[in-house]
Amino acid sequence: MEYQWFLQKFEAFVGVNPWTMLFAWLNLLILYLFLKKLAFVPLKRMIDSRQKEIDDMYSEAEISRTDAENMKTEYEKKLSEAHSESEAILKDAQRRALLREEEIIKEANDEAARTLKRAEEQIELEKKHALNQVKNEVSEMAISIASAVIERDVKAEEHSDLIDDFINNMGDEK
Amino acid sequence: MKNKKIIVRLAVLFAVLAVISGLCLLVALLYDAIPVPEDDGALISPNGARVIFGIPALQEISESIPILELGNILTVTTISLCAVTLILVVLACVLTRGLKKRPTGVQIVIEKLVTMLYNLVEDTMGKHNAKFAPYIGTLFLSSILGTLLGMTQLLPSATADLSVTLAWALVTTGMVWYNNIKNFGFGAWLKGFTEPIVVMTPMNIVSEIAQPISLAFRHFGNVAGGGVLTALIYAALAGLSQLVFSFLPDMISQIPFLQVGIPAFLSVYFDLFSGFVQALVFSLLTMVYVGGACPPPEEIPDNRREKTEKKGQKAN
Repeated sequence: MEYQWFLQKFEAFVGVNPWTMLFAWLNLLILYLFLKKLAFVPLKRMIDSRQKEIDDMYSEAEISRTDAENMKTEYEKKLSEAHSESEAILKDAQRRALLREEEIIKEANDEAARTLKRAEEQIELEKKHALNQVKNEVSEMAISIASAVIERDVKAEEHSDLIDDFINNMGDEK
Repeated sequence: MKNKKIIVRLAVLFAVLAVISGLCLLVALLYDAIPVPEDDGALISPNGARVIFGIPALQEISESIPILELGNILTVTTISLCAVTLILVVLACVLTRGLKKRPTGVQIVIEKLVTMLYNLVEDTMGKHNAKFAPYIGTLFLSSILGTLLGMTQLLPSATADLSVTLAWALVTTGMVWYNNIKNFGFGAWLKGFTEPIVVMTPMNIVSEIAQPISLAFRHFGNVAGGGVLTALIYAALAGLSQLVFSFLPDMISQIPFLQVGIPAFLSVYFDLFSGFVQALVFSLLTMVYVGGACPPPEEIPDNRREKTEKKGQKAN
């Protein structure tokens, strides 16, 4: 009797009810399908798509950052190049200006020298000319004086040597 | 630091409570105050789930069969199971309404939980087995909610019925066998029983059969045992209460004052903690067993892989 009671209780406690098992399976299946469709898959998709978006954003940001960095170095290089170039241009211009200055001064000096020389030559020429004129007039005067003195026509052709000598001597005496 | 202090205090509290309950039981036993548990309609009792609808003819037949109970078609456990399904479906409908790319409020919490689930599955079973995550999640939620349902005292814990846990365990075994045969072939699966040496075959077979049984009994035993213990403590506290307040008039001393409060603390362990741990253990073991049957694609023998790939292409 005692044994029978125990067996009955035991069976009631750990007995397996196939109907309950069937319901457990059905419930599990229904729950699985519902939760998968309603919760797990959409939520996972949402999480994954967000993750992907974030990853994309980060990689894009990384790309643009490297781009910007490359540009920066490029610009810096270009800027320094421009600096050195402008410096070179400036130096060249200075050098050329100096050269030109010297040239101009030299030209001016040359011009002045030339002008001076020409003026001197002119003066010399004028002097010679005036001297010659004076000589001619003096010789004419001498001839007329001499003709008046000797009352005779002095032939200029015959006595030009004599007159020239005289004038030269006169000039020397001066 | 703060958490540590709280945990230490809780542990001390639990230890003290355990000692108190033990003393209660002892006193009650000494004074013969524990009433013999009758079939008084307690939700969790050693008498199995209450039968709502049964067929007498089948019940008579099943009395001659030792473990099977063919006659009881509808029990409270089934109602609990349906309640769990209903609650979870409604929760899923309500909580996942209007999902947004920029989450707010509840969605953050749910997404965190789902991420945790997928991480757990991927850590335990490998990245290639992420497709099992919805099933594991369903199993975990049914298990924990099935256990917690017992706390409402309106319905019993669904997991306090061996039929339920056995059904779930058999699903696990079925998945293991199906995946083993799919991935390694029927012959290789059978041959696996003779490894590492032929003599081990009977043991391997026994361990294969023991797997779902141990899985089912572990979960069932924890929840049902907790329920039985709670019932016993209630009875002991009732006896102790009568003893302590015996100087009061009969009308008042019949009220079990000591049943207030103390069982609540025990419930934290037996229902909340144990329920969570058992759900986790059941899911984890399912993951481990099924994961073992689903190795990464590169470890599957070439001839099998081609077959499954062809099947997959056909399905696509």
